[in-house]
Amino acid sequence: MTEGETEQEEKTIPFYPDHVTNEAKLALAILVVVVVVGVLALWFPVGLGEPADPMNTPLHTKPEWYFLFLYQILKYLPKTLGVILPILGLLILILWPFFDRRKDTKRARSARVILAIVGVAAIIILTLLSELS
Amino acid sequence: MRQRKHIAAVIALVSLIFIVIPAIWAPRAQAEPFTTVPPENHPELNDPVLLKPFMEMETFPLPEQDTCQHCHLPGEITGIWTPLFRWILFGTMGLLFVYGTYRAGSVWINRKPWKPLWARAVDWIDERYDVVEPALKILKKPVPLFATRWMYCLGGITFMLFVIQCITGVMLAFYYKPTPEEAYASILFIENEVRFGAAIRAIHHWSANGMVVMVVAHMLRVFITGAFKSPRELNWVNGTLLGLFTLGFGLTGYLLPWDQRAYWATTVATEIAGGIPQIGDIALVFMRGGWNVTAITLSRFYAVHVLVLPVAMIILLGLHFLMIRRQGISRPL
Repeated sequence: MTEGETEQEEKTIPFYPDHVTNEAKLALAILVVVVVVGVLALWFPVGLGEPADPMNTPLHTKPEWYFLFLYQILKYLPKTLGVILPILGLLILILWPFFDRRKDTKRARSARVILAIVGVAAIIILTLLSELS
Repeated sequence: MRQRKHIAAVIALVSLIFIVIPAIWAPRAQAEPFTTVPPENHPELNDPVLLKPFMEMETFPLPEQDTCQHCHLPGEITGIWTPLFRWILFGTMGLLFVYGTYRAGSVWINRKPWKPLWARAVDWIDERYDVVEPALKILKKPVPLFATRWMYCLGGITFMLFVIQCITGVMLAFYYKPTPEEAYASILFIENEVRFGAAIRAIHHWSANGMVVMVVAHMLRVFITGAFKSPRELNWVNGTLLGLFTLGFGLTGYLLPWDQRAYWATTVATEIAGGIPQIGDIALVFMRGGWNVTAITLSRFYAVHVLVLPVAMIILLGLHFLMIRRQGISRPL
């Protein structure tokens, strides 16, 4: 109802109150989820494992789940390469806008979607492999 | 409020509420019986952990020397429900009541056109600091409809989870002890003894995981929509650094419980860092504060988790938002 039009014939909504209300509703929803997690924890707390024992390495020691894909890569590649390759990947990721400077096209976007899907799938598969082995 | 009888009426009402009535009706702290057995209704004096300072004394302190009774009434030693807090709470409510009563007076209403209280407060601030004009400029900024799609919310969700982490993190830091001897026990204390401690810890734990997922999702959205392209390259670099900091939070925070999983996961992770050619050894020793994971490692990780990374994160977040605000949200194809 309060939509405005810019010179480029684009539909916009005013930040306040429309978008602020959208964001407030989303924030409230997240808060509700967080509170539910908290309340559930009163019956199912996170808990702890055994106290740390530097003399005693447990059998299945693994990093946190968001590092598992890196851990799995290390199992396949020799030690140095297995460390260098992810770092190289990270550098490429950080500097991506300086590699990809062309004007954006629908084709390029589809290519990026495919790249993203493949990348995420690879990471998920590596994580699962690491978790289950 | 120009007429003297109004001022006198307010002073009489305020003194009645806050001075005369409390002087007559407020409960007095009762002197506790002077025994060497802790009184039954004094939970803190029956708790072995908190009892430590009292162990050195031969008799329990007299009521006027009992530090707890500086703030609490005997038998009512739980949480923030102290006389001071009651005074503040009911006093504020009383003041609001008085003000509302006064405003409802017809003399005041007839003096000027009625404006809501919040509007008067805004006017007062605006007269002094001139904030309404720039604020309106920010508030009136049009938001293109494409930016209201669900995938444009992911960054905001990540930020909200970060704020939740800050709040729950501070609450946990009130009780956590960052030494190998006490860390594990302090977390057990949080989960079992602190009121809602288990809830706060679980929120912190799951929001950490959620934040990692959301930051990756946000990055994917920016990547797919090509929002990293010129002139937003620097913001992308900034954003990837923020993502790395998120992982850094996860790595440093994971060690803090000092249980087997935490200890050995950190050992593995720092070993991987040690595998970097040329600088691996330096990196490993720098992260661990030595060749092994020790108390120094724990202190180091705690300092990074609680001081270094939060400050760095907040600075980079500020720049992130400033850049977006300045350049506008990028238009998809």
